[in-house]
This record gives sequence, structure tokens and C-alpha cells, in this order.
Amino acid sequence: MTSIFTSGRRQSWRRIFDRIMKVLILLSVVIAIIPLFFVVADVVVQGLPAISLAFFTKNPPSPLAGYGGILNGIEGSLLMVGMGTLIAVPLGVGAGIYFSEWPESRLSFLSSFTNDVLAEFPTIVVGLFVYSLVVAPTRTFSAVAGAVALAIIMLPIIARTTEESLKIVPVTLREASMALGVPRWKTIFRVVISTGKSGLATGILLGIARATGETAPLVVTAGYLNFPPTGLFQQTASVPYIIYNFGTAGYPNWTTVAWGAALVLVAFMLILNLSVKFFIGRRSTGVRAEI
Amino acid sequence: MPRLMDIGLDQLNSLLLDMATLSQQAVSASIDAYSLGSKGSEVRQMSNRLRALHRQVSDLSVEMIARYQPVASDLRFLKACMEISYGFFRYGRYALDITSVLDMFGDLSKCDKKFVVDTAKKTQEMIRMSVEAFAKRDLEMARNIPTMDDVVDESYRRNLRTTLEKKGADIKCALSSALILRYLERIADHASYIGESVEYIATGVEPKLD
Amino acid sequence: METQEDLEAGREVAEASLPTSLRGVQPKFETKGLKAGFGTNWVLKGIDLKIPPNRVTAVMGPSGCGKTTFVRCLNRLHELTPGATVEGEALLDGEDIYDRNADPVAVRRRIGMVFQKPNPFPTMSIYHNVVAGLTLNGERNKKKLDHAVEHSLRGAYLWDEVKDKLSNSGASLSGGQQQRLCIARALAVEPEVLLMDEPCSALDPTATAKIEELITQLKRDYTIIIVTHNLQQASRVSDYTAFFYLGKLIEFDETATLFENPKEELTERYITGKFG
Repeated sequence: MTSIFTSGRRQSWRRIFDRIMKVLILLSVVIAIIPLFFVVADVVVQGLPAISLAFFTKNPPSPLAGYGGILNGIEGSLLMVGMGTLIAVPLGVGAGIYFSEWPESRLSFLSSFTNDVLAEFPTIVVGLFVYSLVVAPTRTFSAVAGAVALAIIMLPIIARTTEESLKIVPVTLREASMALGVPRWKTIFRVVISTGKSGLATGILLGIARATGETAPLVVTAGYLNFPPTGLFQQTASVPYIIYNFGTAGYPNWTTVAWGAALVLVAFMLILNLSVKFFIGRRSTGVRAEI
Repeated sequence: MPRLMDIGLDQLNSLLLDMATLSQQAVSASIDAYSLGSKGSEVRQMSNRLRALHRQVSDLSVEMIARYQPVASDLRFLKACMEISYGFFRYGRYALDITSVLDMFGDLSKCDKKFVVDTAKKTQEMIRMSVEAFAKRDLEMARNIPTMDDVVDESYRRNLRTTLEKKGADIKCALSSALILRYLERIADHASYIGESVEYIATGVEPKLD
Repeated sequence: METQEDLEAGREVAEASLPTSLRGVQPKFETKGLKAGFGTNWVLKGIDLKIPPNRVTAVMGPSGCGKTTFVRCLNRLHELTPGATVEGEALLDGEDIYDRNADPVAVRRRIGMVFQKPNPFPTMSIYHNVVAGLTLNGERNKKKLDHAVEHSLRGAYLWDEVKDKLSNSGASLSGGQQQRLCIARALAVEPEVLLMDEPCSALDPTATAKIEELITQLKRDYTIIIVTHNLQQASRVSDYTAFFYLGKLIEFDETATLFENPKEELTERYITGKFG
């Protein structure tokens, strides 16, 4: 009859092995985190000196000529991300609803196309596409072109998260609504979407976060301007573009501006992601109660 | 695959078969005591045992209904079980009553026992039929019992009438015959009831009340 | 392959075997040759059944016999599943709900349904859950809604337990209370028929007992059809029982008769547990 206590030798070898594994895993975590930590630390350390109230209210300085701000970039980004959102949200949510509620339709293959291909599409290619579509005919870089590019980038993300959030809503809720004699479209909008709304919000916020950080497409669609946006069909600045442009130029005051812009961008992303966590964590009662 | 309930149903079945055999023996013993003059002392014990068995059957049937909530043929069987076991119990009881007549009246050797013994034979036949109908769930046999019951009934009444009309009859013989015939008649009735219960198990139909 | 003769013969059997208490009674719901399935894979193989008004009719049978499919055909819910097919007629007060011109939404308003697992709308309060069928269809009159809430919750034996917390979330109630909430929600639309698909299978015995009591009260005002795999529940609660097997109606009779002395061998074997 074997005892529940293993013999002394085997026991201590197993314990040692356990401990070694634990240490190795911990080590790999630390090694993975360190670069990230350094990046963030670098941004904070380098960018903090640039931050002041003026940073948010002034335009960038000339080379070598003192301090300034990134007002143009902030307003430009707000404008283009905002317009992009206005375009992408109705289309993306609509597509997500369609894929979720009519899975048997012949267009359902588009859903996997959207999720697998479009969502990870190289954004510079998107930019190039919009260049030929909007910039070339209008013969100018523009906020509109930038917004369109951002919208195309945001769309698959929003469509995918919308579809997934709605698919999680149990079939039995739809059936309960239909059984009450509620027409299908009302069931979708008043019951299904209402139950999955935190998922939808998450998707939209994630899309916004993604769009805000995109640089390459804006380089070939929106261009740059030293001033806040002057017109929808004029070149427009954006925060990522400032980082790109000012960070590599070599002038020390410009470098500072670039780091400041980087810090602003990172801070904005952080806030967005915290909002996402807030939406997920909040007791969106239904989905959690079911599980 | 046997059901959980089947264990209890089998138990009930064998209890009833035991009661059947025992009650047959009790009645035979009491009739023999009458016709041959033997003591018939074992009949009391048999009757008590039958009473105990009837209680056992009753308890087990109720327990099965409560635990298993049976339906259809199972439910009918359980209802019939309780009625049939009561019938066998009554067989034993009336056997005891017959022997107590013998105890009370003492020596009956001078009486003409032929008529009673003949009726007793018919009654015993009915008992046998009721037992076999139950053991084999034989519908045909069950349905034949009532006809014999009529015969026994008629014997009982005829004897009563004759006794009333006869003058100067020996009180002891007349009364003992009448009493024993009465008990035989009641045994025959119960045999009919058992036949009806057997029919109920199979068809779910209870015969009309007259 | 079901021939026309098979269907006709089946119909005659159904007529002749109607329980005596139902001869000459106008059925609330009558199905004629109702077939349902997915594509050509028929789950229901032609059902002729007359459901009596203001009574509880239980539909029972082993898994896969088609009882849930049958009931989901009665409120045209079955067709919402992709690939679902339905044939035959289902007459509600004599009108075929599958008529070409019939509006499924209008049909569903006359028939309420309670599902196996309680499914209150998670984003709505108790109050809004109860009147969801009214508000989602445009009713705004606060007085009417208040009245409907109280009336329906009373009808579902839930009013006293929740009257002080009507604004709490629907999902904050216990399982049994949630199910009664769903019953109230179905009642608020004032249907004529109530379909219940194994309404107690997710509930504990106490909650089950309460709902069974409720069902026997509700039949005064509604025609109730309850799907159940629980024989004892069918025998406690229903007046009539229909036994389905492999998509066919095997026997339909008064519950007491069917459970004491069923006419069909198959029924007898199923209810005594001698199947399989």
C-alpha cells in the first residue's frame, strides 16, 4: 500500500524542478516586459518637459526657434478621426448586425473576409488606395482623404466586434421578443443591440484607438499643415505625422515637440483603453448573468 | 432492462402467491375438520399468518405508489394487489370461522354432511380457479368464476329454504350447516372479486355493479 | 414516404379516437397534417390534433419525438430557424395561421410563449420586462402600462414579491421568480393561448410547485399547452395529454384515462418506463 506521502528523495527533486520552472517563467515575463517598460519610460521622460498649457494651444515652432505646441495636430487628428468615425460606425455596425442576424445569407462569406483579411490589411496600402481614389482626382492632400483612409481602417474592427458582441446575445432572447409579437427589426434594435451595447461601444473605442495612432496612411492622404485645419479639402496635420516629421528632422527643439506629441498620443491611448476596460467590466447584466 | 420498480413488483407477486397457497390450505383444513372430524387446530395459525401477510402486501403496495408514482398497468396491478390480498386474507378468516363453528357445536357426527361437503368442493374449485387466474393472469379463467358463484349462491339459499321448511330438524345440525354454508358463500364471493381484479389488471375495466 | 392515403387514414383515426368529453367541442387550436422539419428532414410527420379551449393540454414523449417542434410551429417560431420547413395547417379559432396572407407577427401576439430556461431581458427592469411586449410595439400610455404591470404580475403570482422593487433588473430575481416574470410578460400582451416549453425543468421543486399551481389557475382564462418530459408533472397539471413518438401523434386522451389505462401499447410502454 502506497502512502500519500511520496518518498523523500522523489519529493525534493520534484519540488526543486517546480521552483526552477517558476523562476524561468518569471524571468521570461520580466524580459518581455522590460522593453515595453523602457519605451514608455523613455516617452515619459523625454516628453514631459515639452508639456505645458501652451503645448495644447500653440502651433509648432520653426526649426531652432524655441518652443511651441501641437495644436494643429490635435485639431487635425480630432477632425479626421471624428469624420472617420462618423463614416465607419454606421457602416461597420450595420455590417456587423447583418453578419450576426442573417448568418444564412449568401453574403455571409464577407464576414470571414472582413475579419481575416481586411482587419489586418497593411494600412499604407489603404493609404495608397485612398490616394488614387480621392487625392489624385482632387489634386490635393485633404482631411477628407485622411478621414476616408481612417474609416476604411476602422471599419473591419467595428464590424467584427459588433458581429461578435451580437452573436453572444443568446438566441433565446431574440425568441422571447419575437414570441411577444415584436417584429424582427425592432427585436434587433431594441433587444439585441441593447443587450450587446457594451460590446459595440468597445469595438468603436478600439477602432478609434487604432485610427488615432495610424501614421502611414495619413502621410499619403492628409499631408501636413503647420496650422489648424483650414478646409476639408486642404492638407491637414495630425499628431502621428508630427511625431514622424519632427522626430527625425534633427533640430533639438523639434525633437522635444515630437516627444511631447508621443507622450500625448500614448496618454490618449491609455485613456481609451481604460475606457474599454470600464465598459467590459461594468455589469452589462445580461451577458454575465447568462454565464 | 428491469426497472427499479420491478424488484418491488416481483416481491408483491410472490407474497400473493404465498398467500394463495396458504389460504387454499386453510380452507381445505377446515373443510376436512368438518367432514372428517379432525381437530383443525392449525387453521388459526394460518389465518393469523394470512392477516400479517395482507398487512405486508398493503404496506408494500402503498410504499411503491408513493415512491415510484406508477401509471397504467403498474398502477392497476398495485390497486388490484391490495384487493386480491384482502381476498386471500378473507379465505383464511372464513376457514377460521368454520373451525370455530366446529369448536362451538362439538360433535356433529350425526348430521347429514353430504350437501355441505358438495358445496364445499365447488367452493374449493372456485378458490383454485381464482388462484390460478391470478398466478397466470388468465383472463378466461377469471371470467368463468362468476358463473360458479351463482351455483354456490343457489346452494346456500336452497339449503336455507329447506331448513326453514323442515319440521323437527336437529337444531345443531341445521344451524351448523347454515353457518358453514354462509361462510362458503362468502368465500365464493371473494373468489369472484379476485377474478374481477385479475380482469382489471389486464383490461383496466371494472365490471358493472349489479 | 407518407402517401395521401396514410394521411387520410391517420385523420380518421384521430377523429374516432377523440375523447368523449371533447366530441362536439370547438377546438381552440387544430392542426391538420402539420409537418415540420429542416429541408426534407421531417421532425413532425403529419400531426392531426385538436386542442381544447381553456384546458391544459400536455404534450409529452421521449427526446426527439417532435414535441418542442410542434409547439414552436403553433406560434410560427419554428420557421425563424434557418432551413426550417413547415407544411400543413394550424387553425387558431378556425383560421389557418400558415395562410399565405397571415401575418406571423399578428399570430404571435395572440399566442404567448414561456421557454425552458427563464429569459427575462437583461437590460430591462422588472417593470419594463413585464410590458416589453407592449412598449416595444409602441404603447406609451403610462396609466395603461402601470395597470398592465400590476395585472400581469398578479396573474403570475409574482406581484407581492416584487411590487416594491419594480425598477430592479429583471435578472436580479431567483430562477423561479424569473420564470414567473416571463409568464407575466407573456400574459401582458393578453394572448389567448399560452405555450410552455418545459417551463419547470430549470427550477427547483418549490418553484416548480408554485408554477404548477399557477398553471391550473391560468386555464380559466387561457388555453394552455405544456411540453413536458416529466410524466408526473403531466399527470398533476394537465387535463388532456398527447403522446408523441418519432414525429407522430400516438395517443391523445384525457390525462386520467391515458395514465390509468392507455389504449396504445406504445403509450403504455413509454409511461411505465419499459422503453429501450
